Amino acid sequence: MDEDKKQPTPGEWAIMGGGGVMLIGSFLDFSYGESALLGEGLFPVTTLMVLYGVVMALQVALTKFANVSLPDRVLSFTWEQVHLVLGVFAALMAVFWLVAAEDKGIGVFLVLLGAGAACAGAFIIQKERATGAIG
Amino acid sequence: MADSKVTPPVILILVGGGLVLIGSFLDFVSSGSFGVSAWDGDFVPFPVTIIPVLCGVAMAVHIGLTTFASVNLPDKVLGLGWIQIHLALAFQAVALMVTFLIVEKGGADIGIGLWLMLIASILLIVGAVMRERESAPAA
Repeated sequence: MDEDKKQPTPGEWAIMGGGGVMLIGSFLDFSYGESALLGEGLFPVTTLMVLYGVVMALQVALTKFANVSLPDRVLSFTWEQVHLVLGVFAALMAVFWLVAAEDKGIGVFLVLLGAGAACAGAFIIQKERATGAIG
Repeated sequence: MADSKVTPPVILILVGGGLVLIGSFLDFVSSGSFGVSAWDGDFVPFPVTIIPVLCGVAMAVHIGLTTFASVNLPDKVLGLGWIQIHLALAFQAVALMVTFLIVEKGGADIGIGLWLMLIASILLIVGAVMRERESAPAA
């Protein structure tokens, strides 16, 4: 039973995978050869969405694999709500950057893919954890 | 019940929402006599620059509708209460405006519009936090 609890759910895999893909993509060419993570003219605007994805992935990984105990709530938000908010905003920013970036590098698409996965994962865990947010 | 009162946080959010919209039409960045607004797709990363506008206007419209027009909206959206939605939108607006303030602008100066949008975003988050405090049960 305890082993089952330690196994990440599909939603949690999507969040961890999405955050990882965003982090990898942030090192690659985002626009005009500059990376999203530290690129001149991009940092820290493009870094913000990557940060959201990484925070989501870290929270899931730390609680699943490292048994780190985090507070139940952040301000008035449960962690499921935090994931939903960060996932939606990360995906929104990634889509808007797809429109805004004139010279789209592979980083734009990887960050978008990762943000989409993290956002989808945030919605899936609402169902998995029966938060009542959807369905 | 609190939604039907014009409280200080309500005013802050309405003013913040209005100012962020006005600021978006003023110079976001400028160089000499040349300036571009947050809506300019050639020199600033539009539409990323208008995310704070969308957040602020959404907050102000919600407050306006529930306070002055007595419009009934669902208590929750995706499991989030309206006070939480306001906190999230305001946080996103201010976080993005701070990053726009910091980002290297290639020699261009910070325009009055960017400053106004940043100040408006701060008003929005202050208003959102005050609403949260107002709604919290007394200890």
